[in-house]
Amino acid sequence: MTAPSIEYAALLPMIIVLGAGVVGVLVEAFVPRRPRHAVQVGIALLALVAALVQVVRLRDTEIIGAVGSVAIDGPALFLQGTLLVMAIISVMFFAERRIESGGNAFAPAASSLPGSEDERVLVRDRVLQTEIYPLTMFSVGGMMLFPAANDLLVMFIALEVLSLPLYLLCGMARRRRLLSQEAAMKYFLLGAFASGFFLFGAAFVYGYAGSLEFAAIDAALAARVGQEGLLLAGVGLMAVGLLFKIGAVPFHAWTPDVYQGAPSQVTAFMAACTKIAAFGAMLRLFYVAFGGIRTDWQPMLWAVAIITMVVGIVVALTQTDVKRMLAYSSIAHAGFILTALVAVDEVAIAAILFYLAAYGLTTLGAFAVVTLVRDAGGEATHLSKWAGLGKRSPLLAATFGLFLLALAGIPLTSGFVGKLTVFAAAFQGGAMPLVIVGVVTSAVAAFFYVRVIVLMFFSDPAPEGPTVAVPSAWTVVGIGAAVVATIVLGILPGPLLELAEQAAVFVR
Amino acid sequence: MELYAPMIGLIVVAAVFAVGSVFASSMLGPKRFNRVRLDSYECGIEPTPQPVGGGRIPIKYYLTAMTFIIFDIEIIFLYPWAVRFDHLGLFGFVAMVTFLFLITVPFIYEWRRGGLEWD
Amino acid sequence: MIAYPALAEIRAVDQVEGFGDDPWWIIAIKCLAIFVILVLMTLFTIVFERKVVAKMQHRVGPNRVGPKGWLQSLADGVKLMLKEDIIPKAADKIVYVLAPIVAVVPAFLIFAVIPLGPEVSMFGQTTRLQLTDTPVAVLLVLAIASVGVYGLMLAGWSSGSTYPLLGGLRSSAQVISYELAMGLSFVGVFLFAGTMSTSGIVEGQERLWYGLILVPSFVVYLISMVGEVNRAPFDLPEAEGELVAGWGTEYSSIKYALFFLAEYINMVNVSALATTLFLGGWRAPWPLSAINDGMFNEGWWPLLWFFGKVIALLFLFIWLRGTLPRLRYDQFMKFGWKVLIPVSLGWIVLVAGMRLALNEGVQREELMMWGGGALAAILVASFVIPLFTERRADVDEDEPSAEPEFDPFAGGHPVPPLPDQQVPAVPVTAGGTADETTESEAREEGPSA
Repeated sequence: MTAPSIEYAALLPMIIVLGAGVVGVLVEAFVPRRPRHAVQVGIALLALVAALVQVVRLRDTEIIGAVGSVAIDGPALFLQGTLLVMAIISVMFFAERRIESGGNAFAPAASSLPGSEDERVLVRDRVLQTEIYPLTMFSVGGMMLFPAANDLLVMFIALEVLSLPLYLLCGMARRRRLLSQEAAMKYFLLGAFASGFFLFGAAFVYGYAGSLEFAAIDAALAARVGQEGLLLAGVGLMAVGLLFKIGAVPFHAWTPDVYQGAPSQVTAFMAACTKIAAFGAMLRLFYVAFGGIRTDWQPMLWAVAIITMVVGIVVALTQTDVKRMLAYSSIAHAGFILTALVAVDEVAIAAILFYLAAYGLTTLGAFAVVTLVRDAGGEATHLSKWAGLGKRSPLLAATFGLFLLALAGIPLTSGFVGKLTVFAAAFQGGAMPLVIVGVVTSAVAAFFYVRVIVLMFFSDPAPEGPTVAVPSAWTVVGIGAAVVATIVLGILPGPLLELAEQAAVFVR
Repeated sequence: MELYAPMIGLIVVAAVFAVGSVFASSMLGPKRFNRVRLDSYECGIEPTPQPVGGGRIPIKYYLTAMTFIIFDIEIIFLYPWAVRFDHLGLFGFVAMVTFLFLITVPFIYEWRRGGLEWD
Repeated sequence: MIAYPALAEIRAVDQVEGFGDDPWWIIAIKCLAIFVILVLMTLFTIVFERKVVAKMQHRVGPNRVGPKGWLQSLADGVKLMLKEDIIPKAADKIVYVLAPIVAVVPAFLIFAVIPLGPEVSMFGQTTRLQLTDTPVAVLLVLAIASVGVYGLMLAGWSSGSTYPLLGGLRSSAQVISYELAMGLSFVGVFLFAGTMSTSGIVEGQERLWYGLILVPSFVVYLISMVGEVNRAPFDLPEAEGELVAGWGTEYSSIKYALFFLAEYINMVNVSALATTLFLGGWRAPWPLSAINDGMFNEGWWPLLWFFGKVIALLFLFIWLRGTLPRLRYDQFMKFGWKVLIPVSLGWIVLVAGMRLALNEGVQREELMMWGGGALAAILVASFVIPLFTERRADVDEDEPSAEPEFDPFAGGHPVPPLPDQQVPAVPVTAGGTADETTESEAREEGPSA
């Protein structure tokens, strides 16, 4: 028996991020409370930047490493890079302390009872929640592994590693604790259920193929006849687990509640990064492992894509809460991306990679803006409160307007280019009906995004309207980066599109 | 399976003995009804009424139980590694030390945060 | 790409040489023999314990029933059988009756995989003095032992009474805490034996007992086995000073006797396991094993050595009970989690590292030097580090720095002051008003500050 070899250099980005998580736990144990926050933020940002540098250095790598269980190739590296950029911006949002007058957006101790004496003492003493940083690092590490997993088991482990910290992060809001805890509980219960589906499906596929590795599963699809029931059940169950993570209808029920209840910074992180990781994993699983039976799963994804777009948009129309509206919009966007996923080719991969990057940055910015509009009870998320915001704070309203236009897919924003590439890919892949549904729902969607803009700029401010908090440099830089990305990717999408096209080959 | 079959014999012998003696004593022992004797024993004072369903148990025990599960899983990973240690070489050693380290980190964290204090 | 083994290969691994081909009547004899041995060992141990403890306390001990009192425990057992069987009103009937059975059946099972001797001839049939063995026998022992804990826990829970519930909780917390240390102490043995089968482990100790090579493992096992079977000084679940009789408070008649039986069989079990894993199992101790080409290691002789070792360990149990006071609960848990587990983990890494170095061809002398150096460093560290941490513990920012002030009505009852606390001067005002004003002031200060 020979010892297995591990390609440490290729795995280094993930090792750095997860290692930072471990160091973060030790920091929690040993560093005194006062400097702890600064140390944690420093470690987290340093690790993320270092990992990003290593990802860039690896750019042309194409290997299957760690005894066939992890594939480091174009799509994996592209997505890891995108994830790291988003994670850096998210950590900057987490580090914001001016909005809550010295505290951050998280409850001082997640275990303290909401409204209890304990909590009052912790708030009074300005105790800061710093465990979010190691948790975020673990989650990011899992997200980076998820699209790189080349093995059913590793994929499941990555799924759990990325999910478990997220469940915790959702329950840590400083304000509206009960809503936040309810969100965490719902997310955990449904997420655990979805993970169970995924694992069950993986067991079925293993039963059919006799191997956990994607390449071997692909080979088994070509070689074996019979027992298709086992295989199809497996594919279907695994799809349930992944569709849950990307928030596609009919597995979307958690999205609005969790997005609303979680601290907005966490919502931003979750909305951008989970989607990237889950779509990356879905691409690899369905293209590399199940590419041979695409005719079997394509109809299923057709149906899911159509109802996701329709339900997402139609329900979003009726929302009166900004966070819930953005949540339904994220559901609809999952539908748009699915239209491209159905067309199995490299154009589709490139389109999805680009779309994920563009959408992620926009949604990060949008949720960050939500954190700034506040009243006495914390964030003022009800749409009526946002009326006339453009008159009171034109810069903020304009920023939010820009993000909404990008989400709607108006030309000269990144959202437009994203939608164009995705629908083009779907069209080339012969999914004409999907493109039609997509274009129609986009048109409807534009209505409710524009409605918010109209509300902000053309209606009178409410007499007891919210105030706009002045954030520190952390949030300003984060939102600024999102604004720049949204505009630049809308006007000059060429370089990133080219990069995505170069990256769009899976190693098998 | 033939390795485990003899244990069934032992289970049968032990179960027959246990069930039999419980049954026999209920036959052989005297039965004198006494209301006080059937009350819960609390040193002779009025028994505390028990909450329905057993009531709540301090969270401390859950923490202990969760830590136990983590370490128990660690032990389960250690056993096959130890049995095949001579065949795994340096790689196996480094892998297991890394694993032990990763389990030790949260253990240290729990320790420092007072999760291992009992009173 | 990983090659996955076929089912047939897995089957082939699931074998232990010399087991699995006994005829049914040999199995039956062995089963009955194990049952009888365990019951006899229990009866013996109870009287033995009472006599030894009596000697230690300059008393006489049981001396009435049978020759020199040796039938005392048998008489007690029969008496318990004839006593009234009380099921308390508040008890959960089914679980209450089931609990002693759940406790006692697993206790009998562990001996199935304990090797009592080598191959012998039994009515013309060659067979081993061991009911069965599996490639994961020690793991099986741990699994069965954990099932036994359910008996105690369910007994505590189903009694519907306060003391048993506390006792049951304590016993489960205790057993799981010490099971970890116990499980970790086995790792060193597996490292050297290369197998988890008990007969294989005994074979591996032909030259040297593992208890001598792996002293720390053995010591950790000895400590944790006492904790595992809830014996003094770790008998907190039935601490009569605080919990009456712990989980057994509501039990009477033969049900109580069954718990008693389970407890004593478990003592025999852990002693037998210690013998097997660390003390060479049925092998004769060194000078005897060399006599006449190992004649004492063959035939029926090994039974003598095996039970000799087991009884020596049982004596250790009794000795501990006769000399040591009971630990406080927090000291006990602290010892398990903060001493035994870290020490075991460190020891495993050390042993594995040394064995790896030997396998890779490092010289033994060199290794001894490095190992000794490392050990010395750890020892020094273990003396030095507490000096710092203990001093710092007083000013630890996570803990409340100031002593809480004495509150004469903490929890709504009048309470006496603790040793370091000062009794405040009694205000000379009309009854009760002074107290109320200070309290309301404090309440106003709280949130605004």
